[in-house]
Amino acid sequence: MFRNILVPTDGSAISRRAVGRAVRLAKAQKARVTGLWVGPVWQPNLYAYDESVPAGFISPRQFAASIRKIAARQLGAVRKAAAAAGVRCKTVSVQGTFPHLEIIKAARRNRCDLIVMASHGRRGISRLLLGSQTAMVLAYARIPVMVCR
Amino acid sequence: MFRNILVPTDGSPLSRRAIKQAVRFAKEQKARVTGLYVAPPYNSRLIEDGAMFNFVSPRQYQATVSAIARKHLKAIETAAAAAGVRCQTLHALSDFPYDEIVRTARRRKCDLVYMASHGRRGISRLLLGSQTSKVLALSTIPVIVCR
Repeated sequence: MFRNILVPTDGSAISRRAVGRAVRLAKAQKARVTGLWVGPVWQPNLYAYDESVPAGFISPRQFAASIRKIAARQLGAVRKAAAAAGVRCKTVSVQGTFPHLEIIKAARRNRCDLIVMASHGRRGISRLLLGSQTAMVLAYARIPVMVCR
Repeated sequence: MFRNILVPTDGSPLSRRAIKQAVRFAKEQKARVTGLYVAPPYNSRLIEDGAMFNFVSPRQYQATVSAIARKHLKAIETAAAAAGVRCQTLHALSDFPYDEIVRTARRRKCDLVYMASHGRRGISRLLLGSQTSKVLALSTIPVIVCR
């Protein structure tokens, strides 16, 4: 029923659990997995230009390099989990200011038919809140979304 | 991977679609389906002050609710039977459907909840149904929200 499962990850412990679940589900469904990591876009540090070399300044190129490194690490975990289960897997890393929009776009572009994501499980009172991106994806998605706790 | 899928229904068109998807999913997963319908309990406030105009006795109420529940749960049973999926249905009375859904999931040892988002249109499409968002908040098992 599900052929291509999108699993966005932010590298947190709970989203790693969601990745595990997505891979197991994909194996059971003979589906493939599309891993997604959304990074921030580079922004000039507008408040630190009073000195010639502002503290914490990062050039677009440096930024891109560190994004690539983080993406490779987070998505490598997805690929490894999929490979271990023998599930076909593709990974995508994008940059965007609004991760939920990137998730929706990636789902459409890769023709995914299910999004598996973590609830951003918090404890206690805030356990009642969904993670902001999860809530937004739930609001915008046109395909089923599986929320894992 | 999933053995017992809880499918709460309120009889709305969207939840009928969730039923269809859930049954298909259950068939592939070789899981069984537990259908649930939650109705509000009998409430004496239904009796207008003194006037017996709209009076509904608890027994009448019970009968009406069971009839409605049967109708909605029948949809799950027929879908499951058509797909050859094992199915069990129950209805409950509760003021808080989300609570009943989460409790039933625990009691019946369900490992997945498959429910509709209560897809609204336009701006309110941004809102999840109140029960869905509360189930998402309280559930300890995964929830698939279908649109």
